[in-house]
Amino acid sequence: MIKRFSLTVRLAFLYVTTSILLLVGLGLLVSQMVETHFDEQDAYDLQDKLQLIQNVVGTSDSVPFLIGRLDDVVHNHRNLYVKLERNSQLIYGSTDSAITKFPLMNEFTPNQMLKWRKEGYTYHGICQNGLLADTAKSKIDICVAIDTEHHQHFIHTVGQSLAVYILIASLLAGVIGIGVAHKGLAPLRTMKQQAQSIRSLKLDAQMPVDSVPVEMADLASSLNAMLARLQSDYRKISEFSSDIAHELRTPITNLLTETQVAISQPRSAEAYREILASNAEEFQRLGRMISDMLFLAKAEHGLVLPSVETIQVADEITALFEFYEALAEERQVHLVQIGDATLSGDRLMLRRAFSNILSNALKYAEAKSDIRVEVFTSGAYVHVQMTNSGATISEASIPRLFDRFYRADTSRTNLSADGVGLGLAITKSIVEMHHGEICVTSAANQTQFTLRFPCQPVVS
Amino acid sequence: MKLLIIEDEVKTGEYLKLGLTEAGYMVDLVQDGRVGLQYALEQSYDLIILDVMLPGLNGWQIIQQLRTQQRLMPVLFLSAKDQVEDRIRGLELGADDYLVKPFSFAELLARIRIILRRGAGTNEVTLLYVADLELDLLRRRASRGGKKIVLTAKEFSLLELLMRRKNEVLPRSLIASQVWDMNFDSDTNVIDVAMRRLRAKVDDDFEVKLIHTIRGMGYVLEEPESTL
Repeated sequence: MIKRFSLTVRLAFLYVTTSILLLVGLGLLVSQMVETHFDEQDAYDLQDKLQLIQNVVGTSDSVPFLIGRLDDVVHNHRNLYVKLERNSQLIYGSTDSAITKFPLMNEFTPNQMLKWRKEGYTYHGICQNGLLADTAKSKIDICVAIDTEHHQHFIHTVGQSLAVYILIASLLAGVIGIGVAHKGLAPLRTMKQQAQSIRSLKLDAQMPVDSVPVEMADLASSLNAMLARLQSDYRKISEFSSDIAHELRTPITNLLTETQVAISQPRSAEAYREILASNAEEFQRLGRMISDMLFLAKAEHGLVLPSVETIQVADEITALFEFYEALAEERQVHLVQIGDATLSGDRLMLRRAFSNILSNALKYAEAKSDIRVEVFTSGAYVHVQMTNSGATISEASIPRLFDRFYRADTSRTNLSADGVGLGLAITKSIVEMHHGEICVTSAANQTQFTLRFPCQPVVS
Repeated sequence: MKLLIIEDEVKTGEYLKLGLTEAGYMVDLVQDGRVGLQYALEQSYDLIILDVMLPGLNGWQIIQQLRTQQRLMPVLFLSAKDQVEDRIRGLELGADDYLVKPFSFAELLARIRIILRRGAGTNEVTLLYVADLELDLLRRRASRGGKKIVLTAKEFSLLELLMRRKNEVLPRSLIASQVWDMNFDSDTNVIDVAMRRLRAKVDDDFEVKLIHTIRGMGYVLEEPESTL
């Protein structure tokens, strides 16, 4: 279809087409039956007449006598034409014109009704032999025909009536079809109006579910689910934007204050250097935060994994232990690694995810305690568990731990090397990018992060 | 060493020029893509620092033009676009490195030095000296003033990096990447701790300090002013 028609038009069109096909089929069937019926009737009549004439022939002993009797028999049958031949010589015709109504003898098959048209009329006819009761028992060819004009006329009239009826019925079907389709699609129009009224700030509008037919109720509830998802995403984005603004406000204020205080009066070169260095540190932190936020934003937009390879988890943990070795020794924390498993995913990202959890554990681990990293496969999942001893995380904080910018300890000032509370959010998004899950439990001074990844390779 | 900066953001360009000039390079700064390409074709530069989004011609077009005209000088991209595809595209077009804004100047300087040194070809040394500090790469041994210093494997790599690139300020991110292969920013002060431990072994017992912290930049291992 080159042009796109509306659903209403399409439905009506289908309706009309179906009606026409059905009606035409019915019409053809009726015509066919009428015609067959007439043919059978004619055949019966013709056989009847033929037998009559055969009788007359079989009981006549001479041609003149025969002709005389035939005239008596035939003349009160209108539309009946009789022709007799002997040795291809015409010996009798029921009327003057009767012989002209017949086709050639050789077109006939004995005892089979033939249908033919001549001079605009349709005839049914039949030929058969009869034996004259003369001494020679001479063979007579008897042909009988009837004019079927009034049958034809009737059939024609029936056909015409049917055609007219079909035409009117189809038009009616079209009108009804359009009406039905229009009415049937009314819920769609309602949905359209609803959809038009939805604005980004008012995503809570709902599609009608109860008042529409079952098929559309499905669509409506799917749309409602979509709206709900969009609404939650939209809310997340709004929150993210305001979070960003808030998080940027503090460091920018610090920078501005520090800089303006610095230039408010002359200072020593050393003092300037101090201030600039402190600014540089603050800026680096800002830059890191922006990169992290961009990473999260991209992750939420369904960032595809840049590269996927097979990774021995133990190797990654070992590398991270080497990296954090100095920090662990300083905090007097012992790093313990147990087990191994194979994962497929992006090495850099996974390393970053593990690193964030490990640095978090290091931050909160008690002195002289162990941080245990256990890697094992269980069922269809690879588990990476990191356990540290340290203050129990409060129940209230646990569900919010992976939220952006969330810091369990709100009073804690932002230490220079500390993140801005994006680390765990980044870890979570990386884990989810790998179709995994992350959860945390904390009780009796033991905090345990569990990362779970499906064993089968991640499709990039 | 002559560098060309093609960067349309005025402040960024000016500060880069100032910083690189002070680092001892000759620097030309151009703010328009077309003019930049002309400069690059007419003069010989050791390195071109190229922004991606430029008026006139963008960075991709400039590097394509340069490469089709057989100008093979190294190119370092600066871009606000932090997309893996962009990074890959830049490197595919024949860029030598790709830095995402916001970057730290120390990082840029360190990378420029890597690129410029690449052409020079490193002669395979097995012994590194800075003042009385000595690093034997074959025997994996470090000593200062003849006294042996016991180092862990990673501390050794860290000291090697500092000594090979003495007098250069190395940003923390570069140290993490080169020594531990950690190509992301840790939200901890792990590099500072590692440096502190190395310092304790290398500098603490000696009058002359070799390892210095440059606040807001990174770390540098410097020969003391020569005292004859």
